[in-house]
Amino acid sequence: MYSPYDFNQSIAHRAEYVEERLKAGMPVIGISFDNGVLLFTIKRTQRKVFEIYDQMMYSAIGNQADVEAVRLASIDFAHQEGFSRSPDDVSIQRLVGFAISPPLKRAFGDPMTTPNVLRALFAEIGATPEKDQFFVLNYDGEFSNHVKFAVAGGSDAVEDAMRESLAAHDDVPDLQTALSRAREAVRAGLRGRLSDEDEDSGEESGDALEKALEKGEIEAAILERNTPRESKFRLLTTSEVS
Amino acid sequence: MSFQFNATGDFSRLVSLPTPEIPAATSSVSPSFDTHGTTVIAVKYKDGVLNVADRRATAGMAIMYDRSEKILPLDDHTLVSISGSFAKAVEIARFLRHSFKYYSRSQLQPMSLEGKLSEMTKALVQNLPMALQGVGTFVPVLSAWDVQNDEGRIYAFDPMGARFESTDFSAAGSGSAPIRGSFDYITRTKGPFAEMDLQTALRECLVLLDIAADLDAATGGYAKILPSAKAVTREGILNLDEAQLQAVLDQMRDGLAPQTVNIKAERVEADVVSN
Repeated sequence: MYSPYDFNQSIAHRAEYVEERLKAGMPVIGISFDNGVLLFTIKRTQRKVFEIYDQMMYSAIGNQADVEAVRLASIDFAHQEGFSRSPDDVSIQRLVGFAISPPLKRAFGDPMTTPNVLRALFAEIGATPEKDQFFVLNYDGEFSNHVKFAVAGGSDAVEDAMRESLAAHDDVPDLQTALSRAREAVRAGLRGRLSDEDEDSGEESGDALEKALEKGEIEAAILERNTPRESKFRLLTTSEVS
Repeated sequence: MSFQFNATGDFSRLVSLPTPEIPAATSSVSPSFDTHGTTVIAVKYKDGVLNVADRRATAGMAIMYDRSEKILPLDDHTLVSISGSFAKAVEIARFLRHSFKYYSRSQLQPMSLEGKLSEMTKALVQNLPMALQGVGTFVPVLSAWDVQNDEGRIYAFDPMGARFESTDFSAAGSGSAPIRGSFDYITRTKGPFAEMDLQTALRECLVLLDIAADLDAATGGYAKILPSAKAVTREGILNLDEAQLQAVLDQMRDGLAPQTVNIKAERVEADVVSN
């Protein structure tokens, strides 16, 4: 029979399984800037930053299939809502809190399924930078919301390092500044990851970001605050991010 | 399965349009509550496809609305001009707009022109039971910039969903019948629309619409409210605003077609000009 002890054990094992797989994920950073919201990450071969709805975007680290499943489920919910009511009724709070988080939690708690491997960052643009919102969603359905900036990384050490780097600034940046702050934060985060692992790689850790960029490239997208378009999403071009 | 999602990008699996059961009519129905849009014209000109429409919507003998917008952008390369049941046509246009957006966001690639045309056919077929009861019939004319072949295309549909590609021009709505032959007359005497620039094509279309208004009671003239005009081109959707149309129409007040028309078209984003 299944005892409470088994339950705790199984949850712990599942969490361990997921955390282990998330560790290698290249972190995602969200920053609110004067004319929009930025999501910044490093990709290998597949796209990582996606449009969800007119005023919403998403990026996640984790298993490709799980990242896609959450992306598609989010797009479904947003468009269903946007069509049957109105685009104004689609909000990040409803999306993450009611449509995505509960099934994630269900899947995580179900010992007969493979847990989803994912840590996601959702961003929604508001009328002013203070109204921009970020939601960080964890594989167990737990989520938190943030303003100004938010991070999703492979481990606590990585996330702490990135948060510390971003919290050093108090003003609302422009896009260029936001991009350089994001680079700085990723660099700090990856340094955090190195210190997390064994130090033997610490020797040539010169620039963790440059090293990561040997295997991948920067991917960044923004939601534009002042565009007349309904759809605010735009992927930044290579020349814009370099 | 922890997540249910729709992997095909088919928006109609996600939402359904309201399809009321209508009792079979015992006598001939007079759907005076079914507001109709009237005359829309689409012609291929040198740089794309120009759409011109009057702005009247009627229900039976009553003029319901004099500012209706019948040229609706579906995306940056697709315009639909609607005639017939307003309620249905506008709802279907809203459905298609969402469905194209939904497809490109979920599938990470834009829907092909063929795909968009099938979506329109599906919407018309779905509407058929209502149309057979005598309400909700609408006839769209779809104008598109074919990105693959780099040319403008015009497709007319019948209420059952049959698709007819037009080589040069198309028109729909109650005012379209009286002006049908005039398109040919213009083509034979002044040359094909496809060789005209935007100004010339616009002038011809406004004259055609004026004639339609003269001959069809349901088509709005220019006396109070200006018609609307939009074009779809390689660069996207062009909107010809009221002030610009007014300048052209001022020259037409004497009943003659103006010789030259100076009009500047501004590009607009597809999702801005619609509502």
